[in-house]
Amino acid sequence: MIYAVFAPLLFAVLIPFLSRWKEKVHTGWLILPVPFLIFLYFLQFVGPNFEPQVQSVQWIPSLDISLSFHLDGLSLLFALLISGIGTLVVLYSIYYLNHKEQLGHFYTYLYIFMTAMLGVVLSDNVFALYAFWEFTSISSFLLIGYWHYRERSRYGALKSMLITVLGGFSLLAGIILLTIVTGTTSIREMVAQADVIVDSHYFPFILAFLLLGAFTKSAQFPFHIWLPDAMEAPTPVSAYLHSATMVKAGIYLMARFSPILAGDPNFFFLLSLFGIVTLVWGSFMAVRQTDLKGILAYSTISQLGMIMAMLGFGTDVALFAAVFHILNHATFKGSLFMVAGIVDHETGTRDIRKLGGLMTFMPISFTLAIFGTFSMAGVPLPFLNGFYSKEMFFDATLVNSASGPFMEALVAALPVLAVIGSIFTFVYSMYLFFGTFTGKYKEEELPQTPHEAPKMMLLPPFILILGVITIGLFPEMFNQGLITHAADAVFGAENNQDIYFWHGLVPAFYMSVAVVVLGITLYLTKSKWEGIYSVLPGRLSFNRVYDWLIEKIETGSNKVTTSYMTGSLRFYMVLTLTAIFAITLGVLIQTNGVNFEVTDVAPITTKELIVAAIMAIAAIATIFVHNRIAIILIVGVIGYGLAILFVFYRAPDLALTQLIVETVTVVLFMLCFYHLPNLQKSTTPLLTKGVNVAISVGFGLLLMVIGVSAYNSRAFDSIADYYIENADPLAGGYNMVNVILVDFRGIDTLFEVAVLFGAALAIIAMIKLRRDKGAK
Amino acid sequence: MEIIMTGLASILFGAGIYNLLQKQLLRIVVGTVLVSHGAHLYFLTMAQLKRGAPPLVVDGVTEYADPLPQALVLTAIVIAFGVTSFLLVLAYRTYTLNKTDNMEELRGSDHE
Amino acid sequence: MNNLIFLPIVLPLIASVIAAFFPKKLNLSRKFAQITSVILTIMTAALTWHVLTNGTIVVQSGGWEAPFGISIVGDGLSMILVMTTYIIGTAAVFYAPSVLDKQQESFYFYAFFFLLISGVSGAFMTGDLFNLFVFFEVLLIASYGLIVLGNGKVQLRESMKYVLFNVFSSMLFVTAIAFIYAITGTVNFAQLAERVEYVEQAGILTTVAIILFFVFAVKAAIFPLYYWLPNSYVVPNAVVSALFGALLTKVGIYSILRVFTLIFVHDTGVTHQIFIWLAMFTMLFGVIGALSTNNVKLIITYNIIPAVGFMLMGIGLYTEDAIAGSVYYLMHDMVIKGALFFLIGALIVAAGTKDLREMSGVIQKFPLLGWIFFVASLILAGVPPFSGFIGKILLLRGGLEQEEFLLVIIALISSLLILFSMMRIFIRGFWGDLMDNISDDRKRVRNLTIPGVVLVSISIFLGVGAEAVYPHVESIANMLMDRTDYISSVLKE
Repeated sequence: MIYAVFAPLLFAVLIPFLSRWKEKVHTGWLILPVPFLIFLYFLQFVGPNFEPQVQSVQWIPSLDISLSFHLDGLSLLFALLISGIGTLVVLYSIYYLNHKEQLGHFYTYLYIFMTAMLGVVLSDNVFALYAFWEFTSISSFLLIGYWHYRERSRYGALKSMLITVLGGFSLLAGIILLTIVTGTTSIREMVAQADVIVDSHYFPFILAFLLLGAFTKSAQFPFHIWLPDAMEAPTPVSAYLHSATMVKAGIYLMARFSPILAGDPNFFFLLSLFGIVTLVWGSFMAVRQTDLKGILAYSTISQLGMIMAMLGFGTDVALFAAVFHILNHATFKGSLFMVAGIVDHETGTRDIRKLGGLMTFMPISFTLAIFGTFSMAGVPLPFLNGFYSKEMFFDATLVNSASGPFMEALVAALPVLAVIGSIFTFVYSMYLFFGTFTGKYKEEELPQTPHEAPKMMLLPPFILILGVITIGLFPEMFNQGLITHAADAVFGAENNQDIYFWHGLVPAFYMSVAVVVLGITLYLTKSKWEGIYSVLPGRLSFNRVYDWLIEKIETGSNKVTTSYMTGSLRFYMVLTLTAIFAITLGVLIQTNGVNFEVTDVAPITTKELIVAAIMAIAAIATIFVHNRIAIILIVGVIGYGLAILFVFYRAPDLALTQLIVETVTVVLFMLCFYHLPNLQKSTTPLLTKGVNVAISVGFGLLLMVIGVSAYNSRAFDSIADYYIENADPLAGGYNMVNVILVDFRGIDTLFEVAVLFGAALAIIAMIKLRRDKGAK
Repeated sequence: MEIIMTGLASILFGAGIYNLLQKQLLRIVVGTVLVSHGAHLYFLTMAQLKRGAPPLVVDGVTEYADPLPQALVLTAIVIAFGVTSFLLVLAYRTYTLNKTDNMEELRGSDHE
Repeated sequence: MNNLIFLPIVLPLIASVIAAFFPKKLNLSRKFAQITSVILTIMTAALTWHVLTNGTIVVQSGGWEAPFGISIVGDGLSMILVMTTYIIGTAAVFYAPSVLDKQQESFYFYAFFFLLISGVSGAFMTGDLFNLFVFFEVLLIASYGLIVLGNGKVQLRESMKYVLFNVFSSMLFVTAIAFIYAITGTVNFAQLAERVEYVEQAGILTTVAIILFFVFAVKAAIFPLYYWLPNSYVVPNAVVSALFGALLTKVGIYSILRVFTLIFVHDTGVTHQIFIWLAMFTMLFGVIGALSTNNVKLIITYNIIPAVGFMLMGIGLYTEDAIAGSVYYLMHDMVIKGALFFLIGALIVAAGTKDLREMSGVIQKFPLLGWIFFVASLILAGVPPFSGFIGKILLLRGGLEQEEFLLVIIALISSLLILFSMMRIFIRGFWGDLMDNISDDRKRVRNLTIPGVVLVSISIFLGVGAEAVYPHVESIANMLMDRTDYISSVLKE
């Protein structure tokens, strides 16, 4: 199984090396067998006697992250879809993409995606699942941006990445919470602890984080906005990622976790609500689109909403129908995307307003489209699989029960909304089909003269349509071999439903009839009520919210940042000092650190006081002096004063050093500032001055308080005695300070010299290197 | 006495900060010098003042001033000297290249 | 054997002095620097391996027992950081010749470089607060030398601000050490750790600890103390920016990590709670900065800040998971920041501009650069299975365990915005139509790309091969949380 998952990735890496043959053979042919073999591999598990398979490889055991794959019914269904449709899409793309394009890139991205998607549906380890999940987003980003010289492609790629990665990060938070609560990273073990999870006080967060992950990925309202823009990707990609597989990852996630989450009524409420709203909104918006792929994109959104809602219902019928519809949707939507791509390829446009009457030019495509659209519309015919699952969906909307006013209102509204959504689905399906293939042929509007596509290009949609019909005619065959196993996995118990065409005169039947009748009416009168779209959504689209947000993020962040990154040293200093001052003061007060109990101080003597007073006055004088020579001399006075204090305080070495250093410093000051302009009387505004004074005084006072408190809080004797006792006997020196410097703490001194060395080099470099005067 | 010295160090610190907040390069550099004086004085004061003889071993004397802070401050003084000299030259070069000693005119508008 | 632990600190100092003797002989300087750094890297790797398998090595300088001499402590944390430093340094030495002009190179670039490495390694390994100050000064003076290298007008202007900020925070450092000495009577880490528990006036100690935190926070570029960073990292040469971005702020965050896990853990309710708040703002404002500009180098520079926020978050949470996360993230961030600055330097050469609005389609001519940059962006945003992911899982787990939901959500949002800021560069600069001003010097761009490729590969290994690394990080975190190992190995009690 692990080989099956990683084979595409392996080939993705190899593809760049295959490109040497690309002159002779289309790269697609070389790698076509990969997904097909994977498909065959998974096909062998299909059958009534399917047993789940497990295979595990250690990856980072110390973090409990492993590549453990668990193939149950649900995973099997998805794995078959991924590899099966993958095969068809590669075949299709061989004819869709021109030899001259950068095919290597295309197939590399596509195969990375294939591995990622297989990994998502097979991983039992939540972190591995998450890793694969992010890679589906990334490969989708690269595929949408495949024609990156197009502005719209770049826009769509970024949008899809931001929204799906947002969801991915949210999912990450959710699964980390799950691991915290359960102490395991295996989904199967989590399912076993479902009640622990639901009872945990983390549960609301878990639910919210996981839902956000699933909703963004599966394009649920209001996060659906990325999907229409993702249609900038080449059509094979749209058929594959953005209809059959990747967008179903969110569905998969919910299905996978539903045995855990469904224990909570909020799960029902949120999933049903968002799902049904997405269904209605998606189908409603689809009618309005003029781009073939746009219609299909909104249709996908709507269908995903329907599946999501069914997962929310959580009843056995609903879950069964959800799984069944995943399969059905993949078949008819995949084929429709491919047909749309063929139409685009052969006529040069996807604008339905320019299309029409293609029936005679493209009879095979036309036939395929009939089956696809009618199945999507849920037309009650026994050879269309779409009808079966839709009928079950109607059934499922009728049997929910819940308590609480909101929940009851939702339960009551579900069937109505389901019918409304389905009516619009019917309308856009008809519009898509008739608008393209019947009506007036507008030759002058088409960039190319249409003709039927090559046979091999028609083969993939044909196979899918064959699937539509086979499932329609022999649903039980698929049921026993595949669907029921998947439904079992989602339901968490035996979930055996019969699929049959005629249910009798049950409510679901009347709902279907209503959909068809009202759908036809609305389709025929479409031009009359289209005005509604200027009101709804009108200006209120979430696209605008996204665009606004992106723009605000860029301009807003620029505004915020330039507002404080002014380049003014003083301003930075003010901000920094204020922050340090405020927080330190806060801590001082909160911890009650002030300690004014003066103990054990040296006596005060007059000579020290005089020196101290001179220094204090000098220090303050620096502020008021405006002569550069004077200020340098005053600095000198302070330095020498310090040296004298060192003498008083029994530190002869310090005094000596200070004396020398101060002298050199003053000379340096003189040298450097001789050429600089004289000091000017400051003309700063009063407020600025006030701030400066407040900060300096405040900071000085704060340090004073802290210093005194620290002094008074002496808790230990210094380690000094050791030096005093051992300087002579152990280190052989009489001057303890010197001994400490050169011996006890020799490293300090070594690197002190290193600092001087560095400073000297830097000064030399600054003076000697005069490269670009003016410029730069 | 320690309290007074702490006060003096705080005054040096405060005056230094005030100078740091000015526009002209010279004042700013003076500010850093004052601040470093303040810091050194804090260090010596914090280790208690005038306890015992200067830390030079003399027979018969048992009480000495704490030699460790003195050694550390000495290191700090030398380092501060190195940095200050660098700063002075940097200030000089900045002035000669940019033709101004006013930091407010040295904001730079290339944020963007 | 134990004394070898000095070598990563002392040998580069010697190398620095040697390099200062023949700055004008460029070929010789380059060869000397390259060979020396490769040898030193191998040696450090061997030492690190030794420490990780056999436990902490402590050497008392001059043989004076702690706390009287200076202890150099090679524990797991210090050693892996020193090793990472050397790896990045070596990459930088190979990168430098293609990006520096000859004059810059000949004015002691290599001498400053080795001095910087020496200071950084020393700061990572010292076990003494005052000695930490000295090593800070060493690395700062080297960084001053590097930042003014070239003497551009703008360069000096921004250097001035950089230097002043650092001088001020150094002085505050001395003051904080003075206060700590007053209360505890020592500057040795291990002894401080022992004594802090018994201080009766804990309030003032906490206050002083916060001052010390701010000293480190200025260097680490934590909100609201990072104003000096963006422009001063943009103006110097790309290789200098890479060294700064990868090493300097990390020394600050390392110091916070060390001091606030070993010493000042007596009142985490106050100190570490402040860290959590500051971490949130650091992440947010940093990433806002990254989105605010079209200067590609500035985008990368701003991205330093949220990463620091992530690490601070782990320290603030102060659980074993979170600390392990911070350590992992620290390693990861050093490597990836180095890589990104290298790559962005290559991009600027390739595109001939720093302005995102004036570049487009670079990937068509330089596919390797484009794809490596893309992968590096994903790594930076913490996408699995790369190195950023491992740290992120741990940090988020720590945050969620402590029920800091706001913190976690902000961390996730800033990750997303980091990705956005990087994708802006990728989409606008690399994708799109090929512009005319794109460089034709393929050889130079290739030389500039390769060091980035190497670092990105290491970063990928740190993620995919986490099993080889994480157990060590876990035991490091374990040791940081349980301080006895450090204390007893230094004080030998």
